[in-house]
Amino acid sequence: MIEWLTTTNHKKIGTMYIVATLAFFIVAGALAGMIRLQLSHPNNTIVGTHEYNQIFTMHGTAMIFLVIAPFAIGLANFLIPLQIGAPDMAFPRLNATGLWLFVVGGLTVFAGFATYGGAAAAGWSNYAPLSEITIGTGAGEDLYLIGLTLTGISNILTAVNFIVTIVCYRAPGMTFWRMPIFTWEMVATSILILMAFPALTAVMAMVLIDRHMGGHFFDPASGGNPILYQHLFWFFGHPEVYIMILPYFGVVAEIIATFSRKPVFGYVGMVLSAFAIAGLSLGVWAHHMFTTGAVSNPFFSGISFLIAIPTGVKFVNWIGTMWKGSIEFSTAMLLCIGFLLNFLLGGITGVMIASPPLDYMAHDSYFIVQHFHYTLGGGSLFALFAALFFYFPKIFGVKLDERLGKWFAALFFLGFNVTFIPMGFAGLEGMARRVSTYPDVAHLALLNGLSSIGTAIIAISVILFFINVVISCLKREPVGDNPWGGYSLEWLTSSPPPEFNFHELPPIRSKLPAWDLMEERGISRV
Amino acid sequence: MKTFVAFFAGSAIFGVVTGVAYWLIAHEEATGTVLLGCMAAALAFTAAYAVIAEKNADLPGDDPQETPERAAGEALGIFTTHSAWPILVAISSLAMLVGMLWSPLIGFSGLAALLLCLWRLGAESARV
Ligand code: HEM
Ligand SMILES: [Cu+2]
Repeated sequence: MIEWLTTTNHKKIGTMYIVATLAFFIVAGALAGMIRLQLSHPNNTIVGTHEYNQIFTMHGTAMIFLVIAPFAIGLANFLIPLQIGAPDMAFPRLNATGLWLFVVGGLTVFAGFATYGGAAAAGWSNYAPLSEITIGTGAGEDLYLIGLTLTGISNILTAVNFIVTIVCYRAPGMTFWRMPIFTWEMVATSILILMAFPALTAVMAMVLIDRHMGGHFFDPASGGNPILYQHLFWFFGHPEVYIMILPYFGVVAEIIATFSRKPVFGYVGMVLSAFAIAGLSLGVWAHHMFTTGAVSNPFFSGISFLIAIPTGVKFVNWIGTMWKGSIEFSTAMLLCIGFLLNFLLGGITGVMIASPPLDYMAHDSYFIVQHFHYTLGGGSLFALFAALFFYFPKIFGVKLDERLGKWFAALFFLGFNVTFIPMGFAGLEGMARRVSTYPDVAHLALLNGLSSIGTAIIAISVILFFINVVISCLKREPVGDNPWGGYSLEWLTSSPPPEFNFHELPPIRSKLPAWDLMEERGISRV
Repeated sequence: MKTFVAFFAGSAIFGVVTGVAYWLIAHEEATGTVLLGCMAAALAFTAAYAVIAEKNADLPGDDPQETPERAAGEALGIFTTHSAWPILVAISSLAMLVGMLWSPLIGFSGLAALLLCLWRLGAESARV
């Protein structure tokens, strides 16, 4: 116990991040289930309005700040030193500090549920002045602000650590242009974190000042400016969605290449497109503010459209990697194919709402809910599970059961689409987001009913996943160093790796050190 | 290092270009220009730092011909395995922030504990 609480080893820290984010995922998923239960029928009254506001706020907040983004941080913590051949992170203590700030911050946000007045209820975007009303909502909102400040600082510390480690601790011969795509994506992600998170920390502090120290930053009655809140929040918020997807782009590239038995197609394009996306994503924040009428819609619409280009490059590269490969349809690979299909829909709906006239129609409707769940759920979450299947043997020395895994992948894909396709149509029929109930008009009852059935299927699939974890860990079938035939450095050490990663560093002469070694020894990749 | 500088300098130039474009297109609104300007400045600072302060950095990872043998024997430094201070830093930061709102006593104790932990953390890092 003390061993884990005080460790500064990057693999233990990474593992704790992963375990913590999965625990938060269970809670956030249960909250999603409650939302869908309430919305399964028109005019439902299972939960009241104020409870409903807390539930969707905490669902979204937890998924974003405590699950999708930090899981990638945990995975990167585990993988980056292994992928570049370093013994540990550059600043192991700073790394541990990041982990504990994250855990403490996450628990603080959830502690809101235990207060009089309940948890934060102003949406994950926490708009001021709504979040500054101190009547009715009290301590929960304050704990939310404090918790997010702590997790924000955690992210900044960890990003610095990643960049220094990657620049200074690459093994002999591991030049920048030989690094695995996942590590590259984490460079871009870390820069984004450093650019975006200070804005979040600042704006959370401003809300605290308004709430407790008589400030008026965002209170229009005293000359404050609510639009300023939106600018600062989305200057963080939009890059944040790329902080939540770039690492998973990397995961998908690694998995597709491994199971197609081909090196990543268009490696340089893959790297440059990551940086192009990161750069552009810092210039699109106010597409969330089109309907305020207070921003330059042409500017933000134009840059939003531009993001489709590097994203398209990535799609070409993923498909090019599969092209004429000898594909093995493992669970991880199937989840990546699910990722490609879902994320495509998320991307296309994104281009639609990047057009201000269309956004005026879709804004604050379930169309938006559909859009961002296809990118973050159908995209990031699918890749998250793919990463679990792919790296589980390396992290825990145990392979997850493939047959149960494929059932999980199939049910998850089915449930996901049954849940979220109807939401787009409900949105077009006028279903507003963030409402606790809706009247029985048009096809809303049917569409919402379908959504709720889909969520039940997702729940079954996720339970199946955790059963798989338990069964596989009990069976403990030993795995070799390289169970999937991967090409990067992490597959050349034992599973799980020794304390300082490599007893002896292998030579690195190309992007594919493990495949080079196999070739030398006359082992076939297929 | 060259690649590193190229990426940061490139991002900084991108920041300047977007910042200017934003200023020209959306000039009635200052927040965005300020944010983009700060961003470009931060990126440029990092690139300049790498060019000026680290220009002689000789990293084994930058040489494509480098083999493990050639680098063998080079001290990578010693890595710590355990420290109790990080988790205490996190807990005292929480105490400080919570106390700031509801109880000056807890707030100041948290601040004191945080400073103590940071000091010990720094002292420990200086040793290993
Ligand atoms: C796994 C199944 C999931 C289901 C069934 C689900 C369902 C929902 C529903 C019904 C809403 C309410 C929409 C509204 O009233 O505005 C919602 C909101 C939200 N969800 Fe999910 N969700 C799931 C997963 C995720 C994931 C993986 C993320 C990842 C980031 C996510 C992020 C959000 C966010 C940010 C909100 C908005 C909260 C707000 O309006 O403040 N959800 N979700
Ligand atoms: Cu956005």
